[in-house]
Amino acid sequence: MITVDDKQMEWHQGMTIKELLDELEHVQFCAVVRLNGKLVSSPAFETTRIPDSAVIYLLPLIAGG
Amino acid sequence: MADFTLSDFTLKEIKTLKYVRPEIEKGYTDHSLHINLSSREIEIKPIDKMVKDKFIGGKGYDLWFMWNAVTGKTKWNDPENAICIASGPLGGTPGYPGGGKSIVTTISPLTGIPIDSNVGGYFGPYAKFSGFDVLELTGKSDTEMVVLIDGIDSKIKIYEVSGLTDDSYELSMKLTDYFDKDKPVNISVVSTGSAAKNTELGCLNFTWFDAKRKRVRYKQAGRGGIGTVFAHKNIKAVVARWGSVSMKNNNPADPEAMKAVTKLHAGEINTLDPKQNRMALVGTTHLVPIMNDHDCLPVNNFRYGNHPESHNIGEAVYEHIFDKGFDGCWRGCAVACAHGVKDFVPFTGPYKGQKVFVDGPEYETVAGCGSNLGIFDPFFILEMNFYCDTYGLDTISIGTGIAFVMECFEMGLITTKHTGGMDLSFGNRLNSLELLHQMARGEGFGMIVGKGIRNMKAIFARDFGADASIMQDIGMESKGLEFSEYMTKESLAQQGGYGMALKGPQHDEAWLIFLDMVHNFMPTFENKAEALHWFPMFRTWFGLCGLCKLPWNDIVPEDNRQNPEPAKVMKHVGWYADFFSSVTGRKVSPDDLIPMSEAVYNFQRLFNLKMGYGKREHDSLPYRSVGPVTMDEYNSRMERYDKDLTENYKVDITGMEVAEKVAILRKHREARYETLKDAVYKRRGWTGNGIPTLETVKRLGIDFPDVIELLKLNGVV
Ligand code: SF4
Repeated sequence: MITVDDKQMEWHQGMTIKELLDELEHVQFCAVVRLNGKLVSSPAFETTRIPDSAVIYLLPLIAGG
Repeated sequence: MADFTLSDFTLKEIKTLKYVRPEIEKGYTDHSLHINLSSREIEIKPIDKMVKDKFIGGKGYDLWFMWNAVTGKTKWNDPENAICIASGPLGGTPGYPGGGKSIVTTISPLTGIPIDSNVGGYFGPYAKFSGFDVLELTGKSDTEMVVLIDGIDSKIKIYEVSGLTDDSYELSMKLTDYFDKDKPVNISVVSTGSAAKNTELGCLNFTWFDAKRKRVRYKQAGRGGIGTVFAHKNIKAVVARWGSVSMKNNNPADPEAMKAVTKLHAGEINTLDPKQNRMALVGTTHLVPIMNDHDCLPVNNFRYGNHPESHNIGEAVYEHIFDKGFDGCWRGCAVACAHGVKDFVPFTGPYKGQKVFVDGPEYETVAGCGSNLGIFDPFFILEMNFYCDTYGLDTISIGTGIAFVMECFEMGLITTKHTGGMDLSFGNRLNSLELLHQMARGEGFGMIVGKGIRNMKAIFARDFGADASIMQDIGMESKGLEFSEYMTKESLAQQGGYGMALKGPQHDEAWLIFLDMVHNFMPTFENKAEALHWFPMFRTWFGLCGLCKLPWNDIVPEDNRQNPEPAKVMKHVGWYADFFSSVTGRKVSPDDLIPMSEAVYNFQRLFNLKMGYGKREHDSLPYRSVGPVTMDEYNSRMERYDKDLTENYKVDITGMEVAEKVAILRKHREARYETLKDAVYKRRGWTGNGIPTLETVKRLGIDFPDVIELLKLNGVV
């Protein structure tokens, strides 16, 4: 299991951030997530694998300074 | 901060006005304070209802008083140029996130038009609580002055000062100590520093007293050389003194409603910031890795958008360097993002080897004084930050300006012959710092760098024989103001956000890179024009009310992404409307906020016109912000640019040399920006030449006789 925005979700071996987002709704503006405290940006979504028990937050739309 | 020996300074009281403090009613005192430094006149005047209705407060008030102070011929260093400082009707609400900003305006030495800067610290609220919605400083003193607005004793005082240091940190500490030794939290000081006198890049430092750390803290009104105007007027400091701060100070129309919306917004930030951008821990440094990953972090004078060493200067490092503790630049701001570093030891300059406190850095300083100079050393950035603040310099113009110099140096446009022997290649830390020290001392090549990019381009061409056209392409300024620190080559909307920003290329009007480039949310020119209407107008609204924009869209409701337009964060817009209604008693809905800003926004555009600018030609951009200037840049992102040529512009590039591809891409991208201008001007109700139409000024109720005359003079009837 993993935790995504405080909700439990199923996890599978080799799961990437892109696969996770494909399962979620309303994520078209998600460009950055925080995976176990570390920032991961959209160019790395396809290649970043999620470990089991990961805690993930989807960051809000990036709004600049 | 170092332990300073308190050298002697003398304050000689030369003028005092005892006044009856105007009471605050629904967020307003309805009075303005005018101080003429030449004649030492102090005047308190009631503010007209018309001004209140149309200009709301904050930047709106500043611009109105400036408009009446200057003529179209006024230059920044003329005595009639005014520095105006105002909070706004909502400013000074403790606990409301971002609820205590000051907005400063003047005619900028860099641009010749009004510059505005939205700054933290307690000055604006304290000045309002002392009785004044806006402070206007005009004239020029022949000796150095300190102005005190003392709301506790209901006195305005002007002092002649001698023996007081220029060093902004030491100066603020001494004046804080002098004016309220027992309760330093009652004091906020506005000052600049030694380099503001010698350059056109001077900033203002606004203080608040950090009771826990027992030190003066800083935020900057950085952009456009306001500190230079302040120093030129011979103002050493303006000090506000005020006592207790509570939710009652603004005497809101509906205190319960104000408390309720304050609780909602602050509560949400307390809950969600730790899950979102963690600004209470890392400030805005989270943007460094994010911009780098999306190829938007300026590297080597905006040539490139990322660098493998950028992780050294992002949140992962600064989180461990920042001093832990509450860091709100206004009382009780839950975002609390104004971090600092204690016990930093500079390795150059007058503070070499001493422990100092550094306020910052924020993203802009990291990117401007770090990656854009090809330097990825977090401690070097701290030192640049510290000396810019101490000397009263804008870290953004400094970063972008030195980056330009470094590229000129590497291109051979300037050499050690011109720089006084300094190697100014990208990455040179010692010489970057030496430039700051030269600006403070008023000597050497630093004096030329301190004139800003537009002047440097002219000097390098005229005196050093440098190629003017390449400097035009790589000198990252528009309207004379240096760009803030985002790469815009792949976002047409943000090119517009910078090029059509009223004061010059600062991102506080519109920040659309991700919506446009990453999410492709605004594919058509009309979509982009709509965004370049709504966002600048809404962002303007914060400056009218005395608020900080960060709590609007840097922490967002959990269900925000279900909204069809999440970038607007409409739930928060609703809260802001409630906040405004509860304080002022003027019932507004979210839809009413945009028209409130529109009047002031268009008035500022007209102000540019009055000063001889404000037309289409003045919204131009250096090509570096639009596309690849050099073949190197093209080659570094060849796949992207080839795709742009073949897919978007249907160019057959088979067998084409890179130089030819650079030239063709440029033709298309420059044409595209011109088309965007057409669409934006139309959406804003402006002529094709970028001037508000008669119909627009009438609709907004800013059809004053002198505005109509100005339009007529410019062929708009
Ligand atoms: S959000 Fe940050 S910059 Fe804005 S008022 Fe709060 S502490 Fe200051």
